[in-house]
Amino acid sequence: MSVTLQLTYEMSKALGVPRLELDGPETVADVVRTVESRFGDAGADFAKLTRVTAIAVNGVLVNYRRGMKTRLGEGDVVAFVKAAAGG
Amino acid sequence: MIKGYAGRILEIDLANCSFAFKPLDEAIARLYIGGKGYGTRLLYDRTPAGIDPLGPDNPLIFATGPLNGSVAPQSNRFAVVCKSPLTGGIGNATCGGSFALGMKKAGIDILIVERCAAAPIRIEIDGDRDEVLFHDAAELWGKGTYATQECLGKKQHHAVIGPAGENQVLYAGIVSNERIAGRTGVGAVMGSKRLKAVSVQGSRKLDMEDPEKFKEYTIEVRKLFKDHPVLGNSMKRFGTGAIVNTANARNILPTRNFQRGSFSEAMKISGEYLEDHELRGVKSSCIHCPVTCGRDVDVEGVGRVKGPEYETLALMGSNLEIGNLKRISEWNYLADDLGMDTISLGASLSFAMELHERGVLDAGISFGDPEGVSELIRDIGHRHGIGDDLANGTRRMSEKYGGEEFAMHVKGLELSAYDPRGSFAQGVEYATTNRGGCHVQGASMYMESVGPLTINPQNLKLKADIPVVQQNLACAINSMVLCIFTTYGIIPKAVHEMNPNSLRYRALALAFENMGPLLRTAMGMKGPPMLWFEKWLSYITGSKFSGGHLQEIGARIFNLERMYNLREGFTAADDTLPDRILHESTFEHMQSGHPLGQLLPKYYKNRGWDTQGVPTPRTLERLQIRI
Ligand code: SF4
Repeated sequence: MSVTLQLTYEMSKALGVPRLELDGPETVADVVRTVESRFGDAGADFAKLTRVTAIAVNGVLVNYRRGMKTRLGEGDVVAFVKAAAGG
Repeated sequence: MIKGYAGRILEIDLANCSFAFKPLDEAIARLYIGGKGYGTRLLYDRTPAGIDPLGPDNPLIFATGPLNGSVAPQSNRFAVVCKSPLTGGIGNATCGGSFALGMKKAGIDILIVERCAAAPIRIEIDGDRDEVLFHDAAELWGKGTYATQECLGKKQHHAVIGPAGENQVLYAGIVSNERIAGRTGVGAVMGSKRLKAVSVQGSRKLDMEDPEKFKEYTIEVRKLFKDHPVLGNSMKRFGTGAIVNTANARNILPTRNFQRGSFSEAMKISGEYLEDHELRGVKSSCIHCPVTCGRDVDVEGVGRVKGPEYETLALMGSNLEIGNLKRISEWNYLADDLGMDTISLGASLSFAMELHERGVLDAGISFGDPEGVSELIRDIGHRHGIGDDLANGTRRMSEKYGGEEFAMHVKGLELSAYDPRGSFAQGVEYATTNRGGCHVQGASMYMESVGPLTINPQNLKLKADIPVVQQNLACAINSMVLCIFTTYGIIPKAVHEMNPNSLRYRALALAFENMGPLLRTAMGMKGPPMLWFEKWLSYITGSKFSGGHLQEIGARIFNLERMYNLREGFTAADDTLPDRILHESTFEHMQSGHPLGQLLPKYYKNRGWDTQGVPTPRTLERLQIRI
């Protein structure tokens, strides 16, 4: 199963890529764990950043589903969301 | 006169170049504050139903409020009110720049420009001498807003139009410095009067009830802003463009004329990218504002000019499927110089692209391709060729060419850059806002999809309540006149610092979501002034303003606008959203679009309106609205 990660700007800078494709994660928690272990120090920075960003699957925050235990499906887009303001 | 006001209205008749200073009506000021509120009252009282918005009977009202002329952060805005040529209903827009300060220094709270000049004209107001001079503006006519202001010099404060206003592009705006009163076509009304520019000067000082307290407290507020995660950090560092990535992640970033809610190249048009690649450290601000949300960018062949804000990045970027910041900056400059609203412009361009794609109109522009866009923007500003059609906005284009179901407007005003299918309260706000599809008349999306404490934006809870509270607050803010971005400071730092995936955060969001009518009751309570703008108003005017007072005043203004629209023939049928938003989905799990039909009856009830969306006599009486 493959999912796409849409990163915040800071995450993208830390990991050196604008987006990521991951094979295998079954839950949102798996996504964070996989990236953390695969990218070494940058992965640790990424994990830290996940603590100040909300997480959405296909645009819907996992907070309204099962949080980090939210299950993923083939082709899902997991996006990290930073609060922002403006207009 | 109440402190904080100059106490004068200046009435100018362009048909015979005459003017008169009249006293400000204290009773109206107490009920409507100033700015948009006072302006709406004047428009309602001075005009009959059915006037031609581009004819001599439509007054152009420039209105300040009691906070203008002070050094309070974000207190630099003025409101413009008139009948909108784009919607046929209430028209208004607010603008930063320095014109509001100029008006107050000249001792003028409100300027009413009546009838039309026979030939291009400009006005100079000297408030110290109580003098108004009328000058031939033939030499300025045809010049862009930048060149016009340069010719007029720095001694005075200006409000000008560009070629788009002169040519009555229906979404032309009025420009002061680099800021624009963009929405609803107020610049077209100024153009219809052949009024190129208003320049104002004076040396009066604002009289306050308690200047010491005001000064002390303003120092405190500056510190609070500096320390705030939004006003002192994200908006300062990345400008409003910081929303691009957030909206993209939430699937509400308008893409391909609202066909989708996310754009693969969003990162490249974001505020963060702008900061890293284009900006080179130059931020710009309205006067007295420490937030500095403006960005300056280099545009080839022009030099350093104001950069694009979020709405422009989305409506002229993702919504056209163009991820090229340089081109968007160039178009933003062109639109500012021609004097046009980039929201309506971007939506008109995306509508033309979709018509082109469907083989209905040979617009010469396509999604994803910047080719031909600059030329078309110029043609719109000058009403040349196909640009003449686009200059009328999406509603009129759809009446001519078809495609009403994907013409993205409400009441004729093009939607701004938050797709309501992922932001249900914002959808209710778009549908009911009196000037049409706009986000800064409430900004409900901040409470449900982009801000720090977001409730589930895709259920029905609170979605008919948030817009009422937010619209009322925005009406009050636009009457002081403050920048609406000040409301982003209301959610405290502690909430911003919570882990959004923690249980504590989720419990807080859940509690908020389940507040129901308690939200409106809590917001309506008339306690002591708590927030900075409530305190500023109180220190300046000497009257006590609490959140509850502002809710009441805001509701009064909102309902008066509603009565104006009803008088113009609007009905409940106009409280709707584009078919695409109602019936197409951009979310995998959604069967259809926005559930407006389920939310509108509750919204009407919350407002004290009957089932046809008409304010009941009781509501009008409760709010002391004289009709
Ligand atoms: S927040 Fe931005 S738009 Fe508002 S007053 Fe400050 S600089 Fe101007």
